[in-house]
Amino acid sequence: MTLEIVAFWAFAVILVGAGLAVVLGKNLFHSVLFLALALIATAGIFLTLDAEFIAAVQVLLYAGGVITLVVFGIVVTERLVGEKLSHVSRHVAAGGLVAAALAILLLRGISHVPLATTKPGLAGDLTRQMGTSLLTRFTLPFELLAVLLLIGLLGASYFARPED
Amino acid sequence: MGLQAYLTLAAVVFCIGLFGTVTRRNTIGILLGIELMLNAVNINLVAFSRFGGDDTGMVFTLFAICITVAEVALGLAIVILLFRTRRSASADHIDWLRG
Amino acid sequence: MTSNAVVFALTALLMPAASFLIIGALPPLRRAGRVAAWFSSGCALVALVAAVLGWRAFAAAGTAEPMRAVWWWLPSVRGPLATVGVLVDAQSTTMLLLVTLVALLVQVYSTCYLSDEPAPSLGRYYALQSLFAFSMMGVVLAPNLLQLFVCWELVGVCSCLLIGYWYRKPEAARAALKAFWITKAGDVGLLIGIVLLHRLTGTFDLVELRHLAETSQIPLAGLSIITFCIYLGAMGKSAQFPLHVWLPDAMEGPTPVSALIHAATMVTAGVYLLTRTEWLFALTPQVLAIVCWNGAFTALLAAVLACVQTDIKRVLAYSTVSQLGYMMAAIGAGFAGAGFLHLLTHGIFKALLFLGAGAVIHAVGSNDVADMGGLARRMPQTAIVFLIGTLSLAGVPLFAGFASKEEVLGSVLHGGFPIPFLMLLAAAFLTAFYMFRVVFLAFFGEGGARREARSASIPDPGSTHLSPPTSHPAAGDSTDTAHHGHGVGSLAHAHDAPFLMTGPLWILAIIAMIIGVSFLVTPPHAEFESPGWLTPAAVVVALSGILLAWLTYQRRTISADALARAFGPIRRAALARFWLDDLYLALYRSVLLVFSRAIGWTDRYLVDGVLNVISAWTLDGGDRLRRMQTGKVQDYVWAVGFGLLVLMAWIGVAW
Repeated sequence: MTLEIVAFWAFAVILVGAGLAVVLGKNLFHSVLFLALALIATAGIFLTLDAEFIAAVQVLLYAGGVITLVVFGIVVTERLVGEKLSHVSRHVAAGGLVAAALAILLLRGISHVPLATTKPGLAGDLTRQMGTSLLTRFTLPFELLAVLLLIGLLGASYFARPED
Repeated sequence: MGLQAYLTLAAVVFCIGLFGTVTRRNTIGILLGIELMLNAVNINLVAFSRFGGDDTGMVFTLFAICITVAEVALGLAIVILLFRTRRSASADHIDWLRG
Repeated sequence: MTSNAVVFALTALLMPAASFLIIGALPPLRRAGRVAAWFSSGCALVALVAAVLGWRAFAAAGTAEPMRAVWWWLPSVRGPLATVGVLVDAQSTTMLLLVTLVALLVQVYSTCYLSDEPAPSLGRYYALQSLFAFSMMGVVLAPNLLQLFVCWELVGVCSCLLIGYWYRKPEAARAALKAFWITKAGDVGLLIGIVLLHRLTGTFDLVELRHLAETSQIPLAGLSIITFCIYLGAMGKSAQFPLHVWLPDAMEGPTPVSALIHAATMVTAGVYLLTRTEWLFALTPQVLAIVCWNGAFTALLAAVLACVQTDIKRVLAYSTVSQLGYMMAAIGAGFAGAGFLHLLTHGIFKALLFLGAGAVIHAVGSNDVADMGGLARRMPQTAIVFLIGTLSLAGVPLFAGFASKEEVLGSVLHGGFPIPFLMLLAAAFLTAFYMFRVVFLAFFGEGGARREARSASIPDPGSTHLSPPTSHPAAGDSTDTAHHGHGVGSLAHAHDAPFLMTGPLWILAIIAMIIGVSFLVTPPHAEFESPGWLTPAAVVVALSGILLAWLTYQRRTISADALARAFGPIRRAALARFWLDDLYLALYRSVLLVFSRAIGWTDRYLVDGVLNVISAWTLDGGDRLRRMQTGKVQDYVWAVGFGLLVLMAWIGVAW
């Protein structure tokens, strides 16, 4: 029983549980909060994978940024607590069936393939390696990402401009 | 934990997210489902990258997270726009592509 | 190889065709009735001259080989599948003479007979007459069975149109259709026969077929069916039992039409066909036996039916059926030459009789013999020519029909058919009887008993009637009489017809006399030796028939009523036309109409139903499938997920 295994299972359980709460909850705001929990659990999973930088980015951007955005979105749409909009009663059977079947197929597929069981050793600091790659090998996508964010910013502000 | 565990986890979360996308009535609810699916994909990427010894997957994950943020921003902008024109955030009312 | 005879034959063939096309194509010409009449008659005259010249040219050429000129019609790889053209030999030139002569005389006669018709109708009449002449000549001159069949059908169409000339009269329209349908029933057989023959031999050409038949190259298996089918076609056109029922009803048409079509030309087409193909029938003696028996039976049957008719045209119609039976019997006995000879002589005197009857009807204003009487005093010319025709028909020596009738009788006896021979002899007796009955009632005596009764305005259904009137007593040419403006009581004003009508009558009568006398002087060449007692027997039979008629209807020593009662049941059956018409009507109603209704139902509910169901299902299915496009994105996401599932399962990722 190493710490790694315990940590993995803990984070996994939290992740799955929170995910289920997101999709099954009746209250939208609660769902958003549970999503935040799920995202943080994911960050924990990243930690078990020795991807500290990713975990940090996850917490910063996802748990911090996305959740904030969604909360503001909810506020703007003025559908808050009390509004029973998020009924899950929409073709639950069909959706559940497809999701479950997909899950089963994926799991079977995964189990049939021989996969590595132990992590290979780390060849130095992962974060440093990532930074180097970003600025050497993946410079172009990096810059394009910046452009994308700009475009996203412009687009979002255009869409949500005040009516006049 | 072997690679299989992480992949299994990602698959499960992906399917939960798919279920949420298909069933939720509120448009923001749909966005939450999409978030879960993207998360699962990120877990997959990082796991493969770690077990494969190549850090390319992690860079990919970085990009995915950033793009997701942009996508959520735009998605919410659209939801707000929809709400303004239709006075409703229920996905059931957005059926103008009906055949 | 063209030669004079062929050129003349072609001219004769194409003149009426040109006349038809021109009259048909130029409405002003058609509407100017009399002009069309003279134009058509002129073309017929040219055709007659060409026929005469052609006949002489062929006879002068001295060869017995047929000459022809053909043009390719339906091409195929191994030479033409079908050709059109003319085939000139002894039979066709002689027949051509008859056809053109009678056609010309009838057309000239019609200018006077139908003078009261409105001009456009007259134009239509002459267009049809020209077309008929052309198609009949097409049959006569056909070099192959295909052209023969096409012209055969065309003849049927023309006869239908001409019978139904007064198409506004329902009886005429019905009669026209009846003629068409009954002959069509036979024509189906003819077509089947022609096609089967082609399958057997590979050719339609008459000359080739004859060569094959005479050199025994035609396989005999299945040939009986073929000849029987061809005989079916002849049966329809030549009114043999049981397809004879159309001919009496066809008397609804104008009398000149009856003279042309139902005496000399169309009905003889069947006999002509059999004569043309006698070498084929010679290979199937069983079918020939059927032909002979049926011919004799038809002759006797029709003679019996003629005895109870009061409509003069119907008497002549049944007489035609009877004589056609004679011709067929001779052919069936194997001596087509005798049948053909009788065809020629019969054509002349039957046309004469019909035209004479037309003159009488024109004068008296009614078809019914009971309305006539003593016409010999008032219409001497008509009486003379009619008497000549009747004596020819009865087979009295010195007149045309005698020699040919004796040939027929002799050939049937020589061919080994004693019972048909007896039937023909009995028919000869009856022929003389009923024809002279008509003569005595119409031309001699005081007559007009029913007329007087009617003019005395006492409804008198049965007083001095010889037999109850047939179903359409005066309806035969009622439009006729209305047009001629002769009303009741015109018996007193009866007079000989104008020259345009009596001229053709005299021409025919003179020809009949010439034929009769020349045959008496030089009997026609017979292919057999007839027994010595045949000629006297035939003469005795004819004269006894005349004697009986004289005693009954002129001298009134034998009461007509007693005679009628003596043959009671036969007479009743004859009046009902042996219920054949009723049988056909019942068959039509119970079989054909039922079948048609069944087919109609099937078409409407099954065939259309299937299509309607398929279309309804398609529309419904489309409607249902349309609902898959809900317009909601979540459903599309679900669909993508489902597709992914299917894809994965199919590729076998998870197995």
